[in-house]
Amino acid sequence: MNLTRRSVLTVTLLAMAALAAGPALAQGAVRVGSKIDTEGSLLGNIIIQTLEAGGIKTENRLQLGTTKIVRSALIAGEIDIYPEYTGNGAFFLADEKNPAWKNASAGYERVKALDAEKNKLVWLRPAPANNTWAIAVRSDVAQANKLATLDDLGRYVAGGGKLKLAASAEFVERPDALPAFQAAYGFKLRQDQLLTLAGGDTALTIKTAAEQTSGVNAAMAYGTDGPLAALKLVIMEDSKGVQPVYAPAPVVRADLLARQPKIATLLEPVFRSLDGATLQALNAQIALEGQDAKKVAERYLKSKGFIR
Amino acid sequence: MSGAPAAVAGRPAGAARPRRVRQRVLALLLVAALAAAAGLAFLTVAPNRLVTGTGVLLPALWAGAAGAAGAEGAAWPAIWLMALLLPTAALVVAVWLPPSRAVHAAVVMAATALLTSFVALAGAGAAMRAGTLPEIARVSLGGGCWVLALLSWLAAGDALQRLRLPPARHLAAHAAVLLPVVLLLASGALDALSLLKEYENRQDVFHAAGWRHLQIVLTALLPALLIGVPLGVAAARQPRFAAPLFATLNLLQTVPSIALFGLMIAPLATLGEWLPGSGVRGIGLWPAVVALVIYALLPIVHGTAAGLQQVPAAVREAATGMGLTPRQCFWRVDVPLALPVLLAGLRLTSVQLVGLAVVAALIGAGGYGALVFQGLLSSALDLVLLGVLPVVALALAVDAGFTLLEAGLRRWRAEPAV
Repeated sequence: MNLTRRSVLTVTLLAMAALAAGPALAQGAVRVGSKIDTEGSLLGNIIIQTLEAGGIKTENRLQLGTTKIVRSALIAGEIDIYPEYTGNGAFFLADEKNPAWKNASAGYERVKALDAEKNKLVWLRPAPANNTWAIAVRSDVAQANKLATLDDLGRYVAGGGKLKLAASAEFVERPDALPAFQAAYGFKLRQDQLLTLAGGDTALTIKTAAEQTSGVNAAMAYGTDGPLAALKLVIMEDSKGVQPVYAPAPVVRADLLARQPKIATLLEPVFRSLDGATLQALNAQIALEGQDAKKVAERYLKSKGFIR
Repeated sequence: MSGAPAAVAGRPAGAARPRRVRQRVLALLLVAALAAAAGLAFLTVAPNRLVTGTGVLLPALWAGAAGAAGAEGAAWPAIWLMALLLPTAALVVAVWLPPSRAVHAAVVMAATALLTSFVALAGAGAAMRAGTLPEIARVSLGGGCWVLALLSWLAAGDALQRLRLPPARHLAAHAAVLLPVVLLLASGALDALSLLKEYENRQDVFHAAGWRHLQIVLTALLPALLIGVPLGVAAARQPRFAAPLFATLNLLQTVPSIALFGLMIAPLATLGEWLPGSGVRGIGLWPAVVALVIYALLPIVHGTAAGLQQVPAAVREAATGMGLTPRQCFWRVDVPLALPVLLAGLRLTSVQLVGLAVVAALIGAGGYGALVFQGLLSSALDLVLLGVLPVVALALAVDAGFTLLEAGLRRWRAEPAV
């Protein structure tokens, strides 16, 4: 009986040791994380493959979870690097009032300075893209009513035009999202002109507008969303620049970057090549065609000569 | 019909009457199948993987075949018609036959043939439609196909149950019913379906997810047993201890997994810093396993305590009267008698863990949940299915494994008595 107990304990300890050995073996490798969404997995794969091609060992921690979990993981030292948007710095660092966030380079400089000081994180140079919140309208509605900018949309809605918007609760309620658009462009959507959906992913809002579910003809969207064109939606231009600029950039722990300074020089040209149209096309390959983010990233990096 | 005596008298008379529905379950399944075939889309065709497709009814497949395939494809509809109608006819006849082993065996075979035909037809229909559409268009299984396949499977399963085979042979026979579908999957005959396209795009992820999922479940089960069984024994022996224990476990059960994951990142990361080389992490496998262990404790503790409590006090008294020490009494009387209930608890826990392990993807632990959440977030339903179907299969396999284990245990316990 004692023998049985002891052997059970031994087996358990051995099993635990075997499990623990897995991650322990990979120590020293750069742990690359990302958010769970489409662009997160694309940019994460791009970072992994670029670093590997530059001779830096990586550990795949992609699609970890929501923004909150990935950011906590980076600060806790569970991962070393992940792609984040400059505009989110305003909320991470409780600095929403600052006008710097609405300017691409000022926002980047601000988040770089604050995060280095408070959290010992380094923001590498961002891609020249803006994955900001936007409102997209069905192209038939846009054409019939000559809608191209949010100014046009505001005038259309204020003049009694038919519009029903599918959006996340966050977009509807956050003061810098829909309320900011409404205040700047002089319109107000009634409760029955809104369809609030769970979760923050725009695939669902776009789909709702494309299929006109519950009479929806406009959707919350992100600037670099892939499937917009294929689902016949157009983004209303934010001509007054109401929204912060959300440029994707690799964020890396300062201690790791000090040990591996090559990371910055490897990623800089790759992110510089990722403009809005490129990201949109790559996102579409994943979201619309269902291709694996890893393969999409690999094909892109090869076509640009970043990896062989 | 007019009263109780008439109904009683009607029974022997009815048995003599040749035309009477003998197999009500089968008849019900057939009626439901007919309704599904007529009313639900067999396939859906969508211009891309994000939007909802338009439905194609089962009869429309033949119309499509005649139009698309031309002269060469003229034989196509006839062959498929036979593949569907022959087994269906056999099942319809069986409804009126008196139940016997031969009839049940025939029903199993006919239902298996029908299940195979439905799945194969879906694959062929998808290939035919996809041939005329652009690359990014998707042909998915419609509600009709799922319902028809499920009803055929149920008919086969019901007839198998009536054959009353011993557990091991019953499971083998059930596996044989599903084997043709597995072979179809492996042969590539279904590759034109959207589900298989999702698989093709994510093969590496899919296969890695399988091992990872098993790893998560097994890693959680072991500590849950090591903690849960002693707690269950304690709860059975000390009723004063049981009430607060179950209150705590019930409370833990209600904490949402996402909240649990978020709460565990920082403490586990700190623990990992204190114990370098231990592999303890705030994300990945560790928090997922800790959460699953917490959820698994309730059924295991409950099963252990219930198993021990149902051991009759008289048996225990008799054992003590025979001079067994309390320790001997526990191992030789309590444990063997409690084992069936404990195993039932373990079975429940294991099947539950296979399902629960899906949420582990939210903290970066991987497994099939990674596919499910990617699919949910990008509203690609076939990707969700690609993650869910293997989880269902795994849960069924675990359940079948426990059936074998329990049957083996029964035989082992019965032997000394013989």
